[in-house]
This record gives sequence, structure tokens and C-alpha cells, in this order.
Amino acid sequence: MAGGYLVPLALVAIVLASAAAGRALRQLLWISLLLTFPIAVSVILVSVLTRPGDTVLLVLGPFDITLEGVDFAGQTLVRLFAISTAIGLFTLTTDPRAFVFDLERRGLSPRLAFVAAATIEAVPAMVARAGVIAAAQRSRGLDTEGSLRARLRGVLPIVAPVLLSSLTEVEERSLALEVRGFGRPGRRHLLWWPPDRPVERLVRWLLVAALAALVGVRVFGAWPPIP
Amino acid sequence: MTAAAGFGAPGAGTSAAAPAIELESLVHVYPEGTRALVGVDLRVAAGEAVAIIGQNGSGKSTLVRHLNGLLRPTEGVVRVDGRDTEGIRVARLAAVVGLAFQDPDRQIFAGRVRTEVAFGPRNLGVRGPALDRAVADALAAVGLADAADANPYDLGYSRRKLLAIASVLAMRTPIVILDEPTTGQDLRGAARVQAIVRGLLAEGRTVLAVSHDMRFVAETFRRVVVMREGRIVLDGTPEQVFAETAWPVLASTHLEAPLPARVGARLGLGSTPTEAALVEALVTARG
Amino acid sequence: MLELRGATYRYAGYARPVLHGVDLALRDGEIVGLVGGNDAGKSTICLVASGLAPLSIGGELRGEVLIDGAPMAGLSVHALAQRVVIGFQNPATQRSGVAATVFEEVALGPMNLGLPVAETLARARRALATLRIEHLADRDPARLSGGQGQLVAIASLLAMGARHVLLDEPTAQLDPEGSNLVAAALRDLAATGAALLIVEHRTDLLDGLCDRVAVVDGGRVVLDGPAAATLEDPRLESWGVLAPARGRLARALAARDLPGMAALGWPA
Repeated sequence: MAGGYLVPLALVAIVLASAAAGRALRQLLWISLLLTFPIAVSVILVSVLTRPGDTVLLVLGPFDITLEGVDFAGQTLVRLFAISTAIGLFTLTTDPRAFVFDLERRGLSPRLAFVAAATIEAVPAMVARAGVIAAAQRSRGLDTEGSLRARLRGVLPIVAPVLLSSLTEVEERSLALEVRGFGRPGRRHLLWWPPDRPVERLVRWLLVAALAALVGVRVFGAWPPIP
Repeated sequence: MTAAAGFGAPGAGTSAAAPAIELESLVHVYPEGTRALVGVDLRVAAGEAVAIIGQNGSGKSTLVRHLNGLLRPTEGVVRVDGRDTEGIRVARLAAVVGLAFQDPDRQIFAGRVRTEVAFGPRNLGVRGPALDRAVADALAAVGLADAADANPYDLGYSRRKLLAIASVLAMRTPIVILDEPTTGQDLRGAARVQAIVRGLLAEGRTVLAVSHDMRFVAETFRRVVVMREGRIVLDGTPEQVFAETAWPVLASTHLEAPLPARVGARLGLGSTPTEAALVEALVTARG
Repeated sequence: MLELRGATYRYAGYARPVLHGVDLALRDGEIVGLVGGNDAGKSTICLVASGLAPLSIGGELRGEVLIDGAPMAGLSVHALAQRVVIGFQNPATQRSGVAATVFEEVALGPMNLGLPVAETLARARRALATLRIEHLADRDPARLSGGQGQLVAIASLLAMGARHVLLDEPTAQLDPEGSNLVAAALRDLAATGAALLIVEHRTDLLDGLCDRVAVVDGGRVVLDGPAAATLEDPRLESWGVLAPARGRLARALAARDLPGMAALGWPA
């Protein structure tokens, strides 16, 4: 049973160590938690409460909480965390523009490339906008410092203008983009893309090979599955 | 209005002697290190009309956001109606200081003009006939009485800006602060804003405006405060602030006196910040 | 040359047209000011003149819009963008969000047109030089002042190579320093020989810059003539337009039988 935890935890340790080396540990933990949290909640609920097993730990109403269930949930969570930290590390260490330009010079359509890059930039702008709106609403007496009930009532007066103003801005934004040729079909001659060093190319091939090996080993049953 | 407990109505009771606004050595440093205010002292008496001018980044917006608690001093004291604002929530200060923001689209969320205007007083606990009266009066003051049931986004930009002002007027605060009220307004809208300010002053309210519009400032306000790099560099009547002796200070912050002031100075007629003043000076000079 | 003939336009989803039979011409090298109250239809005229209405935003257009003698209908948005470009008042919405530096931002337009690298670089350099913002080339476009952002937006439009530039209230959201920056840049822009249509509330900006000024009221062009004469027309205020300070002062003086500005020694 312990074996199922070893590999994912080792991976998580490697990823977190890399993040710490890059001084992005706290950010990475936040991103991973945000990514995993929703799925984690449902996984825990479903596995812990309904998974059949021999060793019953606790009886909760109609549900038998078994050791096997808890173990399954634990292993799944650890795997999820391993995946999310890896994804998180990727987003933290990759310049989105470099990434998108590189994809484009390898054949990704410029329109898709633009959408990918613009989406990444959109979040901080939205957060800033929400801040301005919150200030205006608070100046009209909206209480964001009071009871939970008061704060919940404050959600609509902040969220609605964020959405509305973003929507009204979308038309002007898209017109401004059209005028500058975005969305025109056909390839572009990029001014710059990230350089590709032989070392990086080698590592990429090795990773692809490793992935193929892992898949093969799994498919041909040499690795124990989750019980 | 229960939320206003402890603060007097314009010119009333115990706060009659206290200045409406008092800033003492106000310093504000933003979390990322920007020193937006480096020691501001300001006293505004109840019923005064003050315009705050200066470049973006001079600290005007930062200053004004201290008045209703959106920002808290890093050092120094902010007093509204004689009371220190420290520890008083923004939602409570909103009953005394109404701050109308520049961009109406960064606050409008209701489907009807009427509902939008009612938001403010409603937050202050006003209900029933008193609420209806507050809304009706505010809409009348900005000239939107006929659009009470319209969707705010069916109004043009000018009228949406007036709607944003109405939503603050409805809160009947003794102090009203307008952030760039004439920016983006056409002639009629700007004239309406001037009328609104004059109406508020006639009621004894204290009015502050942050503005780039030199003509609006010279014609509507009896006191002009000029800010640069986090401090007040000029503070006086339009005649004083737009006089020739002040031009170097104005220029240092990329501002220019309105044309009548420049013409009047060139002709040796003294300080004539408005067209009316210049014409009067010329008539007098003619004899 | 860009020409609207009898343009009547109705936005999609609206019952009534916003423009009624608008005639307006923008000749090569000409600088035309467009004034009028809010909601008079100035922005709509810009959208129609740029071809974005109805091509991009839908709606119904009657009458003709001609570019260089040929009807606009039938040209794709991207073909149009190389003949006529339009700038808006908010520098933030005109920022693409995908450029790390100002130079990249300005170069995005020609790059999108599929131009070879050398041409893209040349156009970007030229645009920055025309507006004298070469010193901003390495800056982050998101971290500029309003005025600088607007200049970058205009440079980005210039790099498209269009001969007709429409600017819808370029200084509306700017502080005095920003407005001065843009006003100075407009003169540089005019010197390139492009045809400029500038919508502005601040008639002081148009005073001395424009060859012609047209006044829009209720979706119609109610006055169209040489800048000096139009900006002194006494009916401006009735159309919701604040006349330039000099003109107002001149009229106020005349009303009191005082000597005019020139007689007072104020330079023309």
C-alpha cells in the first residue's frame, strides 16, 4: 500500500525543491492548492464514503468508512497534487509570450496563439478592475468589512459591474484588434521566438522517450495498479 | 439616519466649529513603496468649495480616498467633521463623505436608473418614502428625472456620469467629493455639473472636486489646491493660484492657467481667471 | 480620399438610425475636426468611415462609403485596415496585451499583415520616429502614463500604413500633460501627409490644427467649413459644443464693445 504513495510523493518533492530554488515555492503551493482543491473535495467525499473494503474504521449514518477507502483517497490526492504541482511549476517558469511564439513558429495558428497569450494577461487586469469597482461601491456604503452576511450581499454589486464593464469593453477591444490585423488568416513572420539550445532539445527527446517507456510499462502490466 | 450617528448635519450642533475636513501631516506610502503623499496639511471649513488640481500621480486621488476611509494614513491624522477617521469603517464614513468616482461604468450594476440611485441611501438604512424622496431629489438635481425607469446602459456616457453623481447625491452627505466630474462631458453635461455644485453649496454642503478642467475650476470654486509629487504646492483663490506669479509653479506640474488669466496678465489687468473677470477688468480699464 | 455620401446607419438591434444622410469627405493630407455634443453621432461616423460599421459590428448602412474612389463594401477588414485606421479614447483597450515592449506592440500590426521581418521592423521604427517616442521603445506598454499609452496606440495604427487616420476623442481620458503630448503628436502626424479626422470636445486642440471642422448634431452634419470660421460660429453652443477659448473671449469682448483680441495685442 505504501508503494502507491512513494513515487508521487517523490515527484512532488522534486517539483517543490525546484520551486524553492527558484524562490517561487509559496506561489506554487497556492496555484496547486487552487487547482486541486475542487477535485480533491469530490474525490475525498466519494472514495471515503462509498468505497467498499474489509476494514471498517467508522460508521457514519448509512456510510461505512473503510481503511481501503481512505487509502484510495489518499493515493489519488497525492497523485493529483503531483500533477498540479508539475503544471504549476510549468506555468510559473515559462514566459507565456515565449511559449506562445514558440508554438506559433512550429505551426500553431496565430489566432490561437493570440488567444492563449491574451488570456494569460487578462487575469491581472480583471483583478485591478474589481478593485476599482469595490472602491466605488464601498464609497456608496457597501460594507465589505462587516459580518459575513453583509459581505455576501456585497458580491453582486462588485461582480456585476466587473462583468458588465468587461463586456462593454470587449467590443471596443475587438475593434481595436481588428484594425491592427489580428485574426487575419495566414502565417506571420515572427520577429522573435525563444532560441532552442541543443541541450534543451536533448532533454525534450529524453522526456518523450521516458513517457513512452512509462506508458509501455504500464500497458504491459509491469507496474502494480491502484488496488 | 442611524449610520450618521455621531456626525452632524451641515453646520449643526457640536460640529459647527470643527472644520469639515482636516488633514495633519498626512503621509501615504503604497505597499509597493510609492510615496504618494509626503506630508499634507489641509483644513477645509464646512460649506467651502475646494478644487484639487494636479497631474496624475501628484497624489490628488490618494488624498481624496483618505477622506472616506478607502485608504488609511501611513502617518498623520485624517479628521472628518472633527472626528478622527481611524477605526471607522468605510461604510460608516459613507454617511458623511460621498465620493463620486470618475468612471460610471465601474460602478453601475442595476437594471434601472432608479434602483442604481437607491443603492447608496439603501446601504445607509434609508427606506420607504424617505428613500423615494432621496432618489427623486437626486435625479431631479442631475436632470435625469425623466429617465428614472430607463436601463442605465441605454443612457449615453454623459448621462451615465450624471447618474453616478446622482447615486452619491441621494446619500445626502454633508461632504461631497467629485472625481473628474466634467471629463468626458459635453457642454450641457459640464454646465449641469456646475449647477449641481452650486446647488450643493447653496444647501451648505462642503464640496471638493478633483479636476483637470481649468475653466470649470476657475468658474466654480473659490479655493484651489495644487498638488505636485505628493504635496500641496499652492492653496488659494483662483485669482491667487492663476496669477502670473504662480505660473512657474503651475508649469512645474504641467498645468497652465486658463486663457483669460493669461490674457489679463499680459494686458497688465491683474489676475483674471475667468472670462467674466477679464471682461469686467477691461470694462473698468476702459473707464 | 475617404467619402461618406448620404450615410444613414442603424446599429444592430436598435429601432432607429443614429446617422441620417451624412455627407463627409476626408481628402488626402487634410485635417478635419469633428465636433458635436455627446451622442450626436460623432463616434458612429468614425465607425462607418473606418468600415467597421457594418462590416464588423453589423447594423444597417444606407448610402455610400467610398475609399479612394471605390466603394468600401466588398473589402475585407484586413484590406481596409491598410487604408483607414481608427483610434479610440481609452489607451488601455487599444493595448493588445501580448507585447512585452512598446516596439513589439507597434510592430504587431505589420506582423499581423504577414509582412517580411525587415518591412515590419522598418514600419515600427518609422512610426515611433514620427511620434517622437523612440525613447519608449523598450518600455512595458502596460506601465505607461495615459498620454504615453495613447501615443503608442497611435503609433501602432500608423505602422499599418494607412493613409487615413480617424481618432475618436484621443485626449478624452488624459490629464493635461497627456493631452499636450498627444496634441503635439497630432501636428507631427499631420506633417506626414496622412488624412486625419479628429473627434474632439476640446476645441482648443482643434483650433490651429485643422483645415476644416464639421459639426454633428442629431446624426446630421449641420455645418462643415474652414476651421477658423466654423469654430467661431455662434451656433456652436446650441449644438452642445464649447467654442475654443480664444473665440469665446473674442465674442465676449465684442459683446461689450471692447477692442478685439488682435487690437489688444494678443497674437493670432
